Amino acid sequence: MKITRLIALSAVLICLTSAAHAQGKPAPKDALLYFVWPQNGATIKGGFWCRFGLRNMGVTHAGDDFQNTGHHHLLIDVSEALDPNEPIPQDKSHLHFGSGQTETRIELAPGKHTLQLVLGDAKHYPFSPPIVSDKISVRIK
Amino acid sequence: MGEIRKLKSSRGSDPPRESTPRRLAAIVAGDIAGYSRLMQIDEEGTHLRVKRIERDLIEPSIVGHHGRLVKTTGDGFIAIFDSPVEAVRCGIVIQQNMVGRNASMPKHHWIEYRIGVNLGDVIVEADDVFGDGVNIATRLEGIADPGQVYISGGIYEQIKHKLVCGYESLGDRKVKNITDPVRVYRVLPDPAAFNRTRKRRENILIFLLSLMLLAIAGGALWYLVWQPHGKARDQVSIPVSPEMRKVPSSPPPVSLKQAAPLPQPLSPAAPAAPQAPPQAQPASPAAPAPQMASVIREPEMNTIHGGGFTMGSNDDVAEKPPHQVSVKPFAISRYPISVREWNQCAAAKACAFVAAGKDDAPVTNVSWSDAKQFVAWLAGATRKPYRLPSEAEWEYAARAGTQTKYWWGDQFQPGMANCKNCTDIAVADQPAVAGSSRPNPFGLYDMGGGVDQWVEDCWHKNYQGAPANGSAWIEGECASHVIRSGSWKNDAQYVRPSNRDSYDTNVRYPTHGFRVALSP
Repeated sequence: MKITRLIALSAVLICLTSAAHAQGKPAPKDALLYFVWPQNGATIKGGFWCRFGLRNMGVTHAGDDFQNTGHHHLLIDVSEALDPNEPIPQDKSHLHFGSGQTETRIELAPGKHTLQLVLGDAKHYPFSPPIVSDKISVRIK
Repeated sequence: MGEIRKLKSSRGSDPPRESTPRRLAAIVAGDIAGYSRLMQIDEEGTHLRVKRIERDLIEPSIVGHHGRLVKTTGDGFIAIFDSPVEAVRCGIVIQQNMVGRNASMPKHHWIEYRIGVNLGDVIVEADDVFGDGVNIATRLEGIADPGQVYISGGIYEQIKHKLVCGYESLGDRKVKNITDPVRVYRVLPDPAAFNRTRKRRENILIFLLSLMLLAIAGGALWYLVWQPHGKARDQVSIPVSPEMRKVPSSPPPVSLKQAAPLPQPLSPAAPAAPQAPPQAQPASPAAPAPQMASVIREPEMNTIHGGGFTMGSNDDVAEKPPHQVSVKPFAISRYPISVREWNQCAAAKACAFVAAGKDDAPVTNVSWSDAKQFVAWLAGATRKPYRLPSEAEWEYAARAGTQTKYWWGDQFQPGMANCKNCTDIAVADQPAVAGSSRPNPFGLYDMGGGVDQWVEDCWHKNYQGAPANGSAWIEGECASHVIRSGSWKNDAQYVRPSNRDSYDTNVRYPTHGFRVALSP
């Protein structure tokens, strides 16, 4: 039993040298998470629709455990680094889109804010390596 | 122009001529490509999958975009929207979600929708919609490629500057039974994809296919490696319910009222040994099948006298405005619902999953819908009107007669609540067993911190228009519901009794639990 496990382990390590990590599910290398809107540096008046783009992976419901799919999380003004071994936090600056939403209406206080997307797997863990968008900043008038 | 549908509508309705329910609407028509082929492969499976997609994806997406599902046919649906932008968005959302749903399937089992959107003046009836505007939408859908959204020129004119998408003009098309040619556009949800798509479509298909194979192979191997761990965990969780049943004919439920808190979780490392701790066990008389219903271990409830209070605060936009609410007498569970209580429901096959973890720990990873299943089961099995508390009841009980920021005052004090950096409970022991922090003046534990708690109310972004009688506020879109309390993973700000947040109704998250209420 132990030997078979070892063999399997080494096989995996050889096959997938890239995606060896404890928690997160492996994601395709060319997966790209980005903001369709707004663009980095945009100045916006009032509330706005924030739209999420994802290439080379699919969007699904949280809890649905399909290969190469995940759901969006929007991080607003978050400066702490993402912990790859913990579920993506759920609070007022970590918004979850577990029903497979690809856009949201947000209202922020006037001033400068940062936005970043993180893709989570069925159990809200980041992928390995994490699929994150560029962190963009917007100014609310 | 008009065909059978129009004739049919004018034939049967002479009286309400002046009130013809005509209106301008964006019509979305969708159908499944190759439905009959799918039905041939697997009739029942396909039917089930289609129904599930309609229930979980199509209907909520339409409602979420302020549309109305007019009808579903075997393989398709027709919906109307007031706004072309919302209609097209809805189409895109459905298509993007379908990509995810198909990803795990072999290609010949894929369910792919073709979607057409048209703007037209139509006749709307309760369960159908008529007019050539509808016919054009269905024709657009007919010429759309699987997985694509095609829109008419009328829609395009309305949305081109509003919806940041790519639009590929397919020129004027002559469609069946419609005299004038229709201008057709293909929607590319991702504007950057516009130039790439055509040249790269084949490459992408091949690439995705190989990627999928690789991922599946990798996944299978991973699974092999991981299985031993998984199994060990399962073995820990499974005994939970049988163990409870094994103490059937033990003494009658005398000590139901004994709180038995403070069981310091001493051995987190070896929870596998089904330790029969001195306390707690005798009071779990869940009998085998026949008398099951009569001996349910009910949650301990505290009676709360009614009264008036100021709900909300000025600390957060979501909590404004503070407003006066009166609450009728009710009872609420002393602790959040525990794993043991939850697993009675799971054992009765009325709840969706068997919870893992310590019996006395609060159950977590429940969605609002899961919580509703539990209260429905509990109410049915005990014949008492158990339910989720309303948001007003929750805050009234959490404030426990105080109007300060926290129930103990305006300053945070360590040790009063189980929140991030507030206690010295080891992370591995979380969520901590019920009663690990102090009860509030109403004798309730973990009303703030511990686990997040679902309430009955739909999410509203503030209290404008909230009811003042303590009832649950359930008008409006209900795609998300209110959670209260904050969890062990949130900081002290979230412990405030007025703090509120929302989460998608059907989604589970590892810090979400609930408590139950009971009307007198």
